[in-house]
Amino acid sequence: MATVARPAAAGTGPRAGGEVTTSSPAPVRRGSRLRRRRSLVAWGFAAPFVVLFLVFMAWPVVSSLFMAVTDIKSRDLRSPFAVNFVGLQNVVTVLTDTTFHKAALNTLYFVVVGVPLTMGVALAIAVALNTGITRAAAFFRVSYYMPVVTSIVAVAVVWRFLYRPDNGLINEVLGWFGIQGPDWLGSTTWAMPSLIAMAVWRSMGTLVVIFLAGLQSVPKALHEAAALDGANAWQRLTRVTLPSIRPTILFGGVITGIGFLQFFEEPFVMTQGGPLNSTLSVSYLIYNQFGFGNYGVAAAMAYVLFLAIVLLTVVQFRLLGDRDETGTGRRRSIRALLRGSRPAAVGAPAMAPGPADSPSDPAGRRDTEVPA
Amino acid sequence: MRSSTRVTVAALAAVTLVTTAACGRSDSPGTTAPTQGAAVSEGPATGEVTVWAMGTEGEKLGEFAKAFSEENPDATIKVTAIPWDAAHDKIANAIAGNQVPDVSMIGTTWMGEFAATGALDVTPEAVDDDAFFDGAWDSTEVDDVSYGVPWYVETRVLYVDTDLAEKAGVPATPSTWDELKATAKGLQDAGAQWGINLQPGQTGAWQTFLPFAWEAGAEIYDDGEFHFDTPEFVEALTYYQSFFEEKLAPTQLPQGALEPDFVDGKIGSFVSGPWHIGILQETGGDGFMDGVTLAPMPQGKEKASFIGGSNLAVFKDAKNRDAAWKFVQWLSEPETQAAWYQEVSDLPAVESAWQQGDLADDERLKVFGEQMTTAQAPPAVPTWEQVAAVIDTELEKVCKSGEDPAAAAKAIQQQAESIGTGL
Repeated sequence: MATVARPAAAGTGPRAGGEVTTSSPAPVRRGSRLRRRRSLVAWGFAAPFVVLFLVFMAWPVVSSLFMAVTDIKSRDLRSPFAVNFVGLQNVVTVLTDTTFHKAALNTLYFVVVGVPLTMGVALAIAVALNTGITRAAAFFRVSYYMPVVTSIVAVAVVWRFLYRPDNGLINEVLGWFGIQGPDWLGSTTWAMPSLIAMAVWRSMGTLVVIFLAGLQSVPKALHEAAALDGANAWQRLTRVTLPSIRPTILFGGVITGIGFLQFFEEPFVMTQGGPLNSTLSVSYLIYNQFGFGNYGVAAAMAYVLFLAIVLLTVVQFRLLGDRDETGTGRRRSIRALLRGSRPAAVGAPAMAPGPADSPSDPAGRRDTEVPA
Repeated sequence: MRSSTRVTVAALAAVTLVTTAACGRSDSPGTTAPTQGAAVSEGPATGEVTVWAMGTEGEKLGEFAKAFSEENPDATIKVTAIPWDAAHDKIANAIAGNQVPDVSMIGTTWMGEFAATGALDVTPEAVDDDAFFDGAWDSTEVDDVSYGVPWYVETRVLYVDTDLAEKAGVPATPSTWDELKATAKGLQDAGAQWGINLQPGQTGAWQTFLPFAWEAGAEIYDDGEFHFDTPEFVEALTYYQSFFEEKLAPTQLPQGALEPDFVDGKIGSFVSGPWHIGILQETGGDGFMDGVTLAPMPQGKEKASFIGGSNLAVFKDAKNRDAAWKFVQWLSEPETQAAWYQEVSDLPAVESAWQQGDLADDERLKVFGEQMTTAQAPPAVPTWEQVAAVIDTELEKVCKSGEDPAAAAKAIQQQAESIGTGL
């Protein structure tokens, strides 16, 4: 954008300056020509990226926006522009749809229970791997990461066997204690918890790795100092370790939240959204709507989900983001992440910032007061 | 930074506005589709015909079509096999990108949707619709215009465990609704855990349920409108529900449990299509089918069953339209249909093909052939898949949580109305 404006501004230069010095317009013009050529060359170098970006990133986004505000359906495939503009009608349709309400509640249930559970389990494992287990630590790390790299289709077959009502492993084990286990996937009460358990198992591996990296950056000196002051193991965990890795926890919460809101694969392979839509998620509903050819409504639904993800992320930043005594400090951290200027915050929270770290930002130093 | 974000947002908004401003439906009545297809030229077919087919058909058709090339030396048939899972999207993308094959196999329930895009060629008059089963031909018609030709069909019948039925002293071929109930009860009393398996909701359950509605005399679609909220439809829902309330049918059968349970005698009977003959032979071993009776669907006020299968359609933008239709017509000849049955066991959509070879002699197949004459196709409207999903959901409520059938019928009607026919 800036390169377009600059030659125009330069073009007025000779005329304005012409009255004062008529003898030297040439250098200015040559300069502007040079500059224009340079910017053209620059755009030429950037062209491969710009073209790829426009075609594969910008165009799909624009098309989906376009779909979301028109009444496009599968019958319009041959002439996608011959459709009517309907504004926010699709969004209204989505928000008044009872099936969507059901799916939204299911997704909320999944996120509210699933995200803290995944993080809690992952954190416990990471702490255990970091402190307790020293033998065969690599083996355990690989084991916990395995579910992440395993195909969901293969995993689903195994989990369906586990959950079988008559001869599934879970109910067999429960049977030893005289408990008659429910039909896990066939019950409206238990289907969702079953899927949450599977999702926790499937997604904790990544978090364990991230938390381990965070834990290893907590300085031993802090622990030693706390121990000298008479803090027991639990106090050291809650007062030293956890505050030190709060940015890591935030990062883990954000990526897990984003992943869990887009909850799709588990019901798709395990329950097809049933029984009685009790495991139907918003993503699954979007998938179905696209399948039915309601492209407009489906796209609008996707944008509603997108907004929900943004909202959840903002909430997480509010809750877990850098905490200051002043209210402004919290907001700053969100902006900082959006600006992408503080990637170090995730990895090394305990390091003292250099003086040049954020000169324009006096609040920056407060962030690191936590471990003290 | 901030200003460039603003510029991006403004640009996005501008592009969206420009594109939406340029759109709008053309509502002029002059664009209505022709009701009669253009004639196909005389003489042998020439040139290359590209064909898309799914599943086994896609694998075997290429070899099978060599016979056509022998009759028409100047024509070559190029078959592309596509997996069923990807087929719907692939055809939709082909239509959107205007890169269509000449001929494609199309699932019967997709006809409404693809015909509505205007991408399919109207069936030429030369095709004789009387040669096909009525239900099969109906599946090609969208808004009374035919957009293809039935290729193969399948229909649903009752599979009954003969030994159990004899032990219980109930007919293995129940002919009325009451007898079906009695048979299911008898099978259960004779030792089966469940007398019958009827799909209690979830994807595709409507295919098992709708035959009962048709038998009760329900006309679910007529003249551009859905009619689910009728006494006949409620009657069928009530009857279907009674199997679950009387604990004759399982409300929750784990995936893949039906066949082993039927072989073990835990399930006395079930409703399914011809593919289950092969599956049962595989699960129960050779000779197992000798102990199974295939019975036509028991009669309500009328006889009915579900008809499924696939049609063949020629695209409007086909590069080689005439040869494409000639190939389709060749595939619909009774001899070709019978030969195709020998190749892949697809049941012929052409009635007269049933009078030759195995099709005429095999007792089990006869049941399917007989059932086919009364089988019905669901309404071929573009939104059918979505309406069917609504039926699946409501049916599940009726079967599993005891919802009032009348309320379910109302709910289906109301949702179907808001979905519309899409025509």
